[in-house]
Amino acid sequence: MDVKMRKENGVTVVSPVGRIDTVTAPEFEKVLTGLIGEGETRLVLDLQAVDYISSAGLRCILAAAKMLKPKNGALAFAALQGPVKEVISISGFASLFKIFDTPEEACRQV
Amino acid sequence: MSLAPRSPESGSERTPRGSPQDKRANDVQDPFPGDRRFSGELQSRLGGGLAFKLALFILTSTAVIYLVAFLYSYVTLRKEILADVKKDALGVTMVTLGKIDNVLGGIEKVAAFLARDLSGEGRTAAVMIRQMEGLLQANPEIFGVAVAFEPRAFDGRSRYYAPYIHRGPEGLKRILIGGAEYDYFTKDWYQIPRELDRSLWSEPYVHEGEGGDLVATFSVPFYRTAAGERGLAGIVRVDVSLDWLQDIVSRLMPQRQGYSFLISRNGVFVTHPRKEFIMRESVFSLADATQDEELRRIGRHMVWAGKDFVPLTGSAFGRDSWMFYAPLPSIGWSIGLVFPEAELFGNIFELNRVILMIGGVGFLVLLIVIVVISGTITRPLRTLTEKAAEIARGNLDVALPEIRSRDEVGELSRSFENMKGALKEYISNLAETTAAKERIESELKIARAIQMSFLPKKFPPFPERREMDIYATLIPAREVGGDLYDFFLLDGDHLFFSIGDVSGKGVPAALFMAVTKTLMKGMADRDLAPSALLEAVNGELCRENETSMFVTIFCGVLDLKSGRLSCTAAGHPAPLLIRAGKDPEPLVIGQGFLLGALEGVTYRTTEIVLAPGDNLLLYTDGVTEAQNGNREFYGEARLRRVAAVHAAGGTASLVDAVVADVRSFAGDAPQYDDITLLSVVYQGADGDSRRRDR
Repeated sequence: MDVKMRKENGVTVVSPVGRIDTVTAPEFEKVLTGLIGEGETRLVLDLQAVDYISSAGLRCILAAAKMLKPKNGALAFAALQGPVKEVISISGFASLFKIFDTPEEACRQV
Repeated sequence: MSLAPRSPESGSERTPRGSPQDKRANDVQDPFPGDRRFSGELQSRLGGGLAFKLALFILTSTAVIYLVAFLYSYVTLRKEILADVKKDALGVTMVTLGKIDNVLGGIEKVAAFLARDLSGEGRTAAVMIRQMEGLLQANPEIFGVAVAFEPRAFDGRSRYYAPYIHRGPEGLKRILIGGAEYDYFTKDWYQIPRELDRSLWSEPYVHEGEGGDLVATFSVPFYRTAAGERGLAGIVRVDVSLDWLQDIVSRLMPQRQGYSFLISRNGVFVTHPRKEFIMRESVFSLADATQDEELRRIGRHMVWAGKDFVPLTGSAFGRDSWMFYAPLPSIGWSIGLVFPEAELFGNIFELNRVILMIGGVGFLVLLIVIVVISGTITRPLRTLTEKAAEIARGNLDVALPEIRSRDEVGELSRSFENMKGALKEYISNLAETTAAKERIESELKIARAIQMSFLPKKFPPFPERREMDIYATLIPAREVGGDLYDFFLLDGDHLFFSIGDVSGKGVPAALFMAVTKTLMKGMADRDLAPSALLEAVNGELCRENETSMFVTIFCGVLDLKSGRLSCTAAGHPAPLLIRAGKDPEPLVIGQGFLLGALEGVTYRTTEIVLAPGDNLLLYTDGVTEAQNGNREFYGEARLRRVAAVHAAGGTASLVDAVVADVRSFAGDAPQYDDITLLSVVYQGADGDSRRRDR
C-alpha cells in the first residue's frame, strides 16, 4: 500500500492511498509506529486518497494514538470524505481527536 | 513421517496397544489391502518373469540360429562327403574296370585272332591244336579253348568236330567234345553267336568240371569261303575262369566296411561277399524278395550299362547305404560298390554328437548367464518395487537401496530416490497446509460456537409480556466477525437491549464479544444509566486489553410502563426509528468513542419516548457495508427504503425483509462481515397496540 509522507513545521503529514482494510492495515500500522518510534509526536492523517477504512484500519490509528499518549503527542485527521468520514465520525474519533478540512490547516493547529 | 495415520500396518504410527486410538486404528480398514498380495505376486512375476522371458527368447533364438548353422553344416558336409566318396569310388572303379577291361579285351583279341586265322585255307588239325595250346600258354586267365566246327566243315564228313584243350592238374589236356551226349550246336555258346553272327560273352556259369569255378566263355564265329560264298565254319570258344575277376573286384574296398559286387547282363551276381548269392540270386530276385521297387529300377539301370551313385533305402543291400555302380562295357556286366552310411558318415555323426553336446552345455551356460544377469536387473527392481509398495503404504522414510551402477537400473533407482524426496517434501508441505487450514477451520468453528452460544435465540423471548416485541437475527460471515446482540429484563418493567460489533475476526473477536456481553450483563442495573454502564465496561475492557481491540456498542433501557428509552452509542451507527405510520429516521444520538479502546472515555445518555407501535431497528455495519459484485455498498438509503415498507409488518417480518433485501443485493458476492439486526416494537403498557398484527 502506498503511504506518502512529508514534514511541515515539525508536523508529519501521512497520506495513505487506497483502502485500509485487513490486508493493508498491518503495513499502515508499521508506518505509523515507525514514525512515532523515530520521535515524531505530531501527526496529521491526510485521508483524502483513502476510499475505505475498516475496523482493522481504526485499530492501527488507535494503536498509534495509544503510543502517542505517554509521549504527549497529538494526532489530527484531515480531508475526510465519503464513507471514511462516516466511519470516523460514527466511531467517535471526533470526541477525542480534531478533524480538519485540509492538511495545511491541521498542521497549523495540531 | 506418515501419510496414512490410520493404517494398522504402517510401522510409523506408534500407538500403545489397547489404547482407544489403537482400537480405532484396528477398526478402520487397511487402506491398501491389495498391496501385499500385489507386491508378492509382482515379486514372483518379476523374478520368474524377466529371467524366464529373457531365457525363453534368447535361448530360442540362439537355438534356432545354432540349429540352422548345424543343419546347414551337416547337409553341406554330407554332400561333400558323398561327392568325395563318389569321386573316390569312381576313381578306384575306373582303374579296376580298366584293368578288367584290359584282361577281357585281351582275351577277346586273342580269340578273334584265332578265329581269323582259322578262316584261312589249309589248316591242319595239328597246326590248329598247336595254336590252341600256344594260346593257352600265353594267357593264364584262359583255362580252356575249343574250336567247334559246323557239321562237315572240318573234314567234309564228320558232323561234330570240336577239339577242346584245357588246363588240368598235370598240364594241358586235350579232348574232343561233341557227340550224341553233347550236341554243341544247341548250346548257347554255339547257337547264339551263330544266330547273331557276332562274337559275344556268355552268362557266367559254374563249370561242372574241376572245382566248381565260376566261368564265362567268349565265343567268336569264324568263316570260310567256299565256292565263292562266305559261310560260317564254326565257333571259337574261349573259357575264362572268373577267379581273378572275383579277386580284383573283392579287393576294391580293402579299407572300408562296404563291399563290392559284380552282376551279369541278366543281373545275376557274379561276385558277392555272400557266396550263397553268387549265381543263385540276382538284383531282381533280391528286389522281389524285399518288395523294393527302387532296387529293381536300379538293377535295370545297371543292366542297361548305367552309371550312378544312389542311396539305398531297401534292406536287400543293407539299410542306409549308398551304392556306386558302373558298367563293364566289354562284357556287358556291371560293378557295384556299396558304402554303408554309418561308415561314410561315421565321422560326422561323431562330430554332430560333439557339436550338440557343446550346444547343450553352451545353452546351460547361457541360461545361467541369463539368470544371473537378469538377476542383477530384477533384484534391484524387486527391491524398488517393495520399497515403492512401502512408500505407497505411507512410509516415506523407507531407505532405498544404494545402487551404484551406471546403467538404466541405477538411473531408475536414483530417480526413485529423487521422487521419494520430492514426494516427502510435497506431502510435508501439504500436511502443513492442510493442518493450517484445519486449524483455521476449527478456529472458525470454535469462534462461531462461542458466538452462537452467547446469543439469545428463543423468539419470542417473553411471550407473556405484551408491552414489547423483540426479534433479532445474526448471520455470521465465514470468518466470524464478532457481532453481538443481547436483551434481558433488568426488572419487571425495564428491558435492556444492546447490539455491538467487535473489531477483528475469528476466535479473538468472538471471545472479546463474550467478555463484553458478560460485562454489560453483569454490570447493568435498573438504576445505572447506559452511559455510566458503558463507562464502567470500558474501564474493565481497557484494563487488560493489549491487543487494541475495541467494540462498537449501542445499548438502551426501555421503561415498559412509560415507553421512555434511555440509550447510548459508543462508535456504533444510530438505529433507525420508525415511528408508527411515519418514515424511518436515524435516531438522533450523540456519538461516543469506541468501547475498550482508550481509558477514561465518557459517554452521554440520550432519552426519547416511544409511542405504542414505534419500531426501533438496530443494525451493524455488516448490513450497510454489504457489497455486491460491483463493489457497491448496500448503504443506509436502501435500508431505510426496506424499513419503510416492512416496519408495519412487525419485528420478524421487518428483520427478515431486510435480510432478504441485503442478500438479493449482494448476489453471489461473499459476505465479509456479520449481518446483525434487532427490531424492538413498543406496544404500550398494556400491550394494546393498534398496530399489532399478531
